[in-house]
Formats: sequence, C-alpha cells, structure tokens
Amino acid sequence: MRTIRVHSLGCALSPLRFAAMVFAMNVAAFAQWISVTLPNTPRTPDGKPILSAPVPKAADGKPDLSGLWRTADGRYLQDLAAGLGGAPLQPWAAALHKERSDSLGKGKPLERCIPHGVPDGMLVRNFPFKIVQTPDVVVLLYEEFNHYRQIFTDGRAFPPETTETWFGYTIGRWEGDTLVAETIGFNDKSWLDNSGHPHTDALRVTERFHRPDFGHLDIQVTFDDPKAYTKPWTVTLPFDLYADAEIIESICENEKDREHMVGK
Amino acid sequence: MNSILISIAMFLLQWVNVPLPNTPRLPNGKPNLTAPVPKTRDGNPDLSGIWRVADGKYLQNIAADGVQVPFQPWAEEVFKERQANFGKDNPSGRCLPHGVPDSFLVRATPFKIVQTPFVTVALLENQGHYRQIFTDGRGFPKDTPATWMGYSIGKWEGDAFVVDSIGFNDQTFIDAGGHPHTEAYHPTERFRRRDFGHMDYEITIDDPKAYTRSWKATVPFELFADNELMESVCENEKDSGRLVGK
Repeated sequence: MRTIRVHSLGCALSPLRFAAMVFAMNVAAFAQWISVTLPNTPRTPDGKPILSAPVPKAADGKPDLSGLWRTADGRYLQDLAAGLGGAPLQPWAAALHKERSDSLGKGKPLERCIPHGVPDGMLVRNFPFKIVQTPDVVVLLYEEFNHYRQIFTDGRAFPPETTETWFGYTIGRWEGDTLVAETIGFNDKSWLDNSGHPHTDALRVTERFHRPDFGHLDIQVTFDDPKAYTKPWTVTLPFDLYADAEIIESICENEKDREHMVGK
Repeated sequence: MNSILISIAMFLLQWVNVPLPNTPRLPNGKPNLTAPVPKTRDGNPDLSGIWRVADGKYLQNIAADGVQVPFQPWAEEVFKERQANFGKDNPSGRCLPHGVPDSFLVRATPFKIVQTPFVTVALLENQGHYRQIFTDGRGFPKDTPATWMGYSIGKWEGDAFVVDSIGFNDQTFIDAGGHPHTEAYHPTERFRRRDFGHMDYEITIDDPKAYTRSWKATVPFELFADNELMESVCENEKDSGRLVGK
C-alpha cells in the first residue's frame, strides 16, 4: 500500500535509500488519486495544463498561490545548504550536524511520526503539499502525516508569548506580488533537512513565496538563529505545480515503520 | 478519559486572545454570537471560524440524546466490549486519527473551518490533522483506498452544507464510546450555521455491515470566538503509559 511503503522511504536518508526513493516516486505517481481535472486551470487545446500561463489572481487582486505543489529538486531534502558550500554553523552545531550526517540521520523526529517542521515538510518530492489561500489565512496542507500549517494574514501580531511548537506561529504579509511569512515559536527538536541541520528555539524563519507563472513557485527561506549559526543564511527552493492531482492521506502509523529505518 | 485530562491542561495553554476581524461586536466589544450568518462572495453561508462541540457528552456517546442505534449483533458486541474496557483500543490513544465525526466531538480541541469556493478545509486541533471537503464539481474517484478520514464531497442544499464521505478504513471509533463502523461506512454530514455563533451538525450514519438501517445524530457546535487553534502534535507513544483503559 503506497501510503505506508512510501512513508518509510520518506523517513530514510542513506544514498541507497535515496536511490530507492527516486524509484518509489514513479510508483507513487501511479498510486496517486486518479487524475482530477481541476477547474480554473489554463489548458492547451488537447486539455493539458499550461504551466507557463500567467499567475491567477485572488478576488482581492493578490497573486493566488493556491494549488498542489512539490519540490522541483530532491537534493534540498538531503541538504538545504547544498548549493551554498555549507551553512554558517556555530561549532557545536557543526559537530551535531556531522554526528547526524555520519549516523545517516538516526534519531530524526519523523522516525517517530513527529512533524518534519519548517521547511523540511515541503522538501519530500513524493509528498506534495497544497496551498489554500484566503484573505485572512493561507493554509498549507501537507500530504505527509496529514499535518497543516497556518499563515495568518488577518493583521494579527505575534502573541506576547509563544509556546514552543514544531511548526511555529506564522504571520504573513504581502510585499508586492510576494507573500512574506515570518515564523517564531519553534521548539529545538525539528531538523531543517535530512542531513540534520539543527536549530534552537531562537530560530526565526522568513519565507518569501513568489509564483512566477501558473506552474512554478519559489520560496526563498532565510534562517536566522544566532544560537546555532554565525549569521542568517538563505536558500531559494523551487517548486512545481502538481497539476490535476490531489493529496492522498498519509498517516504515520506510529512505531510501525521503525524497523524499516536504515540509520545506524 | 485521560486524553480528556490532557486536553483540559492544553486548553489552559490556549493561545492568548486574538480579536478577529469581521466579527460583529456588542457595545462592550464582545462578539455578538446571535448576529446574522455571514455570507461568502458567492452568496452561500460562510461556515469559516473556529468551532467546538457545545456539550462534551457527545464524545462519550453520539447517541446520547436518546437515539436508538440499530446495531447488527456483532457490532453491538464490539460496542459493549469497548464500553467495558473504557475504549482501550481506541486508535486515537496511539496517536492515530480520531476520524469522522469523532474529531469534532472533543470540546477541548476545537476545529477551524476555512471555506473557499473549491474546497472547504477542516483544520483539527487534535493531532494537527485536517480534512478536505471538495466543492469543485469532482466526483468520487473510481477507487478509494481505505483511509482514516475518507474522501469527502460537499454541496449546498439551501443554507445547509451537505458532505458525503466514502473510502474509510474500519478502524476509527465513531465516538469515544466506541460505536464501530466498517469499510462500508458512508456518513452524510449536514452543517447549518444558525447565526454567527452557532452551528447545527447532523450526521446520518449509513453502514449496512454494522447497522441494520441508517441512523442519525444531531450535535450542536459553538463558535470559539476570538481564539486560535494551538498546535497539538501527538508525540507517539509518550502518553500511552498514562492511558486508563483496562
């Protein structure tokens, strides 16, 4: 059954397992909910979605980010800093990162069905996520573990006290055609990616969502965590629209997949 | 039972007050819960908001209002067994989803409805899970794998939002009391927002393998005004040692 099998692959990170995952992605595509011909999709005469069509607009005139998205490049799941020649880690954080990498990611929270966190939850190509945009809130529905995040755009400020959470507390605002989402209130347990880039509860994430055309979305993510990094660092993550498809339920069934983990 | 205690503890940690825009208010600034139902741009009632069950008794027994439940004999036996062991095998005790409608019945963990023309989303505080109700004109897929939350399609009938769901596994409890269902489970839910602060929820339970005929329960929901969901991630087996089921 796709849900369980692919989930256990998504949890793993060895190069061998990564190769298996690339293979599984094709299987997953076949097992996806059968094709749903979505309305409001610009199409060629033969009915195919036009991914280079202009960005749709919401009723309030903002770009509409709504749709099903998945990472266009699986390497960011393995290492967010892949294109940067490394992240500016504090020494203790570098040591922890090395330990996690050397043990092939043993002890990742998601092995225990605990959330991927931000932005890790968006990096697994075979688990797309859906954006549902309204004027007051932008919701991210993750296929993985059936979890969600909210980006509040109703004008509220951060609460005076934020309890520590996996996904944080996120406030968004529009800067031109870019949705800028700021998040605080994280715990220190989630990993930024499978290679184990750590963070502390001082983490502040700024995500800039920009949809250049119908079929593409870029999210520029800045990590500001002075306790774990010597300076803020930024990556830009590309996403493809997963047109005419739907999220399928993917519940992490507790300890069931644990024996399949490959971490040392 | 224990999950209720945990829930109450969490309730005390609820995010501080968020004065939400688009909320009709009394002269003293409090939300006017009997104000008219807001409408969406397309003229339908807008169900958006944070809701919670008005009475905790429905979690223990969705048939609490004297509904006669037409059990098949085996289903009645399962129900009695779950009653006797305080629901020790309830999947939600192992961090698995509450299902439909159980996830709406825990008063301490509200849910948020986000309504758009093409999809209505129910964000569940408990376990940080969600349901999607599609309103974009699609039909059910040809094959629905068995899932915890099912596959839901909604339509408007006058001012009621009517949701049909199929594609369930046979594992969730309909309520914490333990009403069972099979993979033939086909609930029809009718959401009707009476005024700004109140919504009636009627569920018709159709599962010929577990019940001799379809049956119906009505549950009132209240708006949890000026508030926000908080994250409630079920951290695996951490709590299982404290469960009280026999």
